[in-house]
Amino acid sequence: MIEVGRKCIKLAGRDAGKKAIIVEIQDDTYVLIDGEVRRKKCNINHLELLNEVVKISKGASSEEVAKALGIDLKKTKPKPKVERPKKVRGKKKLLEEKSKEKPKKKAETKTKPTQKEETLETLADEGKETKEGQSSSESQKSPISDKPKPKKE
Amino acid sequence: MKVPKSKSKRKVFVKTPGGKTIVHYKPKKPKVAHCSNCGDSLKGVIRGTSAQIKNATKTQKRPTRPYGGVLCSKCTRETIKNKARSQ
Repeated sequence: MIEVGRKCIKLAGRDAGKKAIIVEIQDDTYVLIDGEVRRKKCNINHLELLNEVVKISKGASSEEVAKALGIDLKKTKPKPKVERPKKVRGKKKLLEEKSKEKPKKKAETKTKPTQKEETLETLADEGKETKEGQSSSESQKSPISDKPKPKKE
Repeated sequence: MKVPKSKSKRKVFVKTPGGKTIVHYKPKKPKVAHCSNCGDSLKGVIRGTSAQIKNATKTQKRPTRPYGGVLCSKCTRETIKNKARSQ
């Protein structure tokens, strides 16, 4: 009765009431199972054997089992590992906020001179263009609009 | 002496080290759910009032199994067996 390819129904667990096929025999008591059920080892006492036998090679993959039973395989994409955001409460939160503020201030001071350099470059470019023949009012307006605002995080 | 009269609390008699017996009042709990087929007590279901069960999570009210919270594990196996053999 217990052989590779025998159809059965699972009696216990989350997968109870679903059809499965025996894929491999491990012991007097344990058996590998696959089908509508998760691919797992199962106790023979938790199985109800049916009268049908299917042709399968020993240790078949879940795709071959799905073909033999006539089921669609469940395709599950593997999720990318993402760390859970840890909640920080109390004193630790205050310390973290203080430590974050200090390097940010340093970063802001570093960005400011680069912004000034950019504005100087634009002024120089526009000064050349005014010499060529454009109106001076455009050069006066553009540096004010070109100044990017400092980001406060 | 104040003696509260309330039917919603149950009395517990406690003996003190001095030799007196005293009454303590404790809240009442509803009884455990039972299998609809055989009458055994069900596992995996909390004992709670209707308000506590309404606010409880799904997993606290039933085991994750077909016929969970309705039939005991023995009765589920027998019903699945009978269905398979009748077909």
